[in-house]
Amino acid sequence: MAVASPQTSRGTIGSERRSEMIAGYVLVAVPMIIFLIFNIGQIFYALYISLFDWGARGAKEFLGTANYTDLLGDPIFQKAITNTLYYAALVVPLQMAIGLFLAVIVNQKIRGQTFFRAAFYFPAIASSAAITVLFIFIMNPEGLFNNVRAAIGLNPIFAALGFPADQNWLLDSSTAMNSIILLNAWTTSGTMMLFYLSFLQTISKEVYEAAAIDGASWWQNFRHITFPLLAPGHYFVATVSLIGALQMFDQAIIAGGSGGEPNNALTVIVLFLYRSAIREFDFGLAAAVGIILFVIVFAFTLVQRRLFGQAPAW
Amino acid sequence: MRRMLAMLAAAAIAVGACSTSTGGTTAPSTGGGASSAPASSAPSTGAGEFDPAAIEGDLVLQGWSAGAVEAPILEKLLVQFQAAYPKIKVKFEPVAGEYPAAMAAKFSSGDVPDVFYVDSAFAPTWIDDQLLAPLDDYIAKSAVDTSQFYEGYLNAFKGPDGKIYGLPKDGNTLGMAYNTDMLTKAGVTAPPTSWEELTAAAEKLTASGVKSPMCLSSSLDRALAFIYQGGGALFNDDKTASAIESPESVAAIDAYLGFFKSGAGKRPGDLGVDWCGQALGEKKTAIIFEGGWVDPYMKDQFPDTKYAWAEMPAGKGGKATMGFTVSYSMGADSKNKDASWVLISYLTGKDGMTIWTEGGVANPSRKDVAGAPGKEILIQAADYARPWSFIPGFSKVNDAFNNAMTAAIESGGTGQSVADATKAAIDAALK
Repeated sequence: MAVASPQTSRGTIGSERRSEMIAGYVLVAVPMIIFLIFNIGQIFYALYISLFDWGARGAKEFLGTANYTDLLGDPIFQKAITNTLYYAALVVPLQMAIGLFLAVIVNQKIRGQTFFRAAFYFPAIASSAAITVLFIFIMNPEGLFNNVRAAIGLNPIFAALGFPADQNWLLDSSTAMNSIILLNAWTTSGTMMLFYLSFLQTISKEVYEAAAIDGASWWQNFRHITFPLLAPGHYFVATVSLIGALQMFDQAIIAGGSGGEPNNALTVIVLFLYRSAIREFDFGLAAAVGIILFVIVFAFTLVQRRLFGQAPAW
Repeated sequence: MRRMLAMLAAAAIAVGACSTSTGGTTAPSTGGGASSAPASSAPSTGAGEFDPAAIEGDLVLQGWSAGAVEAPILEKLLVQFQAAYPKIKVKFEPVAGEYPAAMAAKFSSGDVPDVFYVDSAFAPTWIDDQLLAPLDDYIAKSAVDTSQFYEGYLNAFKGPDGKIYGLPKDGNTLGMAYNTDMLTKAGVTAPPTSWEELTAAAEKLTASGVKSPMCLSSSLDRALAFIYQGGGALFNDDKTASAIESPESVAAIDAYLGFFKSGAGKRPGDLGVDWCGQALGEKKTAIIFEGGWVDPYMKDQFPDTKYAWAEMPAGKGGKATMGFTVSYSMGADSKNKDASWVLISYLTGKDGMTIWTEGGVANPSRKDVAGAPGKEILIQAADYARPWSFIPGFSKVNDAFNNAMTAAIESGGTGQSVADATKAAIDAALK
């Protein structure tokens, strides 16, 4: 008996564990299957479609990698890739810097803290379509932006930079993309602020107290404590911002139409995908664009992991 | 084992019951199966007659949202159809969002409406993808006289096989709308009829203080009218090769670019407006080249701006304008083809089109329908209008031209640079 009882008790624990385990797997299985079918499965289905001449109806003709070679040889698609990378290269650091700056500010104990947090976050809640339309009005040659800079006497500076008083920011191929970059840096930095704010609040107060005893200045605090301890925040914000930037679409189509005007300055990868699928009903080519975008996003995320050191645990 | 057999038997009975019930009850209501099969097979095998009154069915008619002005007229039109063909029920289902995107989803899922709008610009791609049913057999059976349609509109829906894949529901041409007060004040007594007169009028308007005499869109759907006027073209006649590099085309693009260079014309974006109609309404310009859609817009937004219509000016190649149209087409897999045809032939027939166009919301695509008074200039231009319908994958050609024009206007490029970029896109699309 003395020998048998631990054995039986061990046995019951084992079977309990096993049934718990089974219940766990069953519970996980349902969302997992949905995830596999609708997320992972789709990637493979898109890969499959991208190998065909896949129209809206009728027989699909197997092409092998022809869609990919066509795409990579298409100067417009090359332009779409350069535009997207240019956009991401500028908008990601801008969003991060503005987001961090705002987060540090509203993390102080200041009067009206909640108001400022809400105000900075506000552009992120408005629909991007509405904001873009508003932006078109602001940036048009007779719009608010040109009028304000004239009124406050900034025009000599703009003239020195080569911009006339009636500069048409969104219809000039040299300024259209940069304008959209500023628009998105403005609208999305609220979201980035929110992310940074949550990471800021994970930094323990004791570290700052210790620094205060050592007589650290505000800048030293920021430079040696806040910034390095925000490493997981940097990684997270950079990843979210970069993925969003590589998928930029709505601002481009609203400001430049489906043609990516002016002079393809706003032709980005997703706009190219949209054109192939919706206007030309060439779903095979569109799927190939999607796969190439996926590869780019995936590669950049891996690079970022390296860049920001060991990724956090999630 | 016995239980399984019993279940199988029960299942078999259930399936049987279902199939008999569908056979019994739905056949009359869909008008499919029993009743329409003989109707559709009889004419083809037998007398060669097609009796629209005997056809029945439930139809879904799909288009883009008609808007507050058009919607009641379309409703009235469908009520009239219902009265004429009580056995066919039609439900109009407008697409709220972007039409081609919604239709792409419907085509690929196989859930295609019976009758739907096809924009002439998309027609070649949709025909090439075999999304539309050819109507030639029906046209022959019902003895529809297609010569009553303006050729430019009808040809927009002809496939490379010569078959007709849709009948134009209405049509619009480009004309010249001008601010009567501004022209009078500048001393231009009659609207310009040629490029030379247009240039002269622009100079007079500038002298009278009009900053931008013309509002000009740099996009192909406006510039092509001028290329045709100059004796040029985008494609050769059977659309198998580019013609944009011809000396006439290049010279015409140069002339069009010249309007921007001389300051005679500005793009809507440069005038701070969305489109040239708005520039006309806000009196920022005196002359625009647009279509009949200007009228309801001006009536609604700028009732005080006085303007009139004239024909597009003529160039070295004579008179030319663009024709924009939309068809009623039938899905290649439509289950109610006979009933769909009855609807299409009514809507595009003389009676249907008279109801549709008499109030002036749209201009007729048929020569035997007069349309609304005051629209004569735009309606009659359909005689020589050339369709905005080219080849499958045309959107890339359109993009190439438009982007090259923007570049040329920005950095002083030439007609040759625009033609080269466009030709490259045409060659790629025809490959």
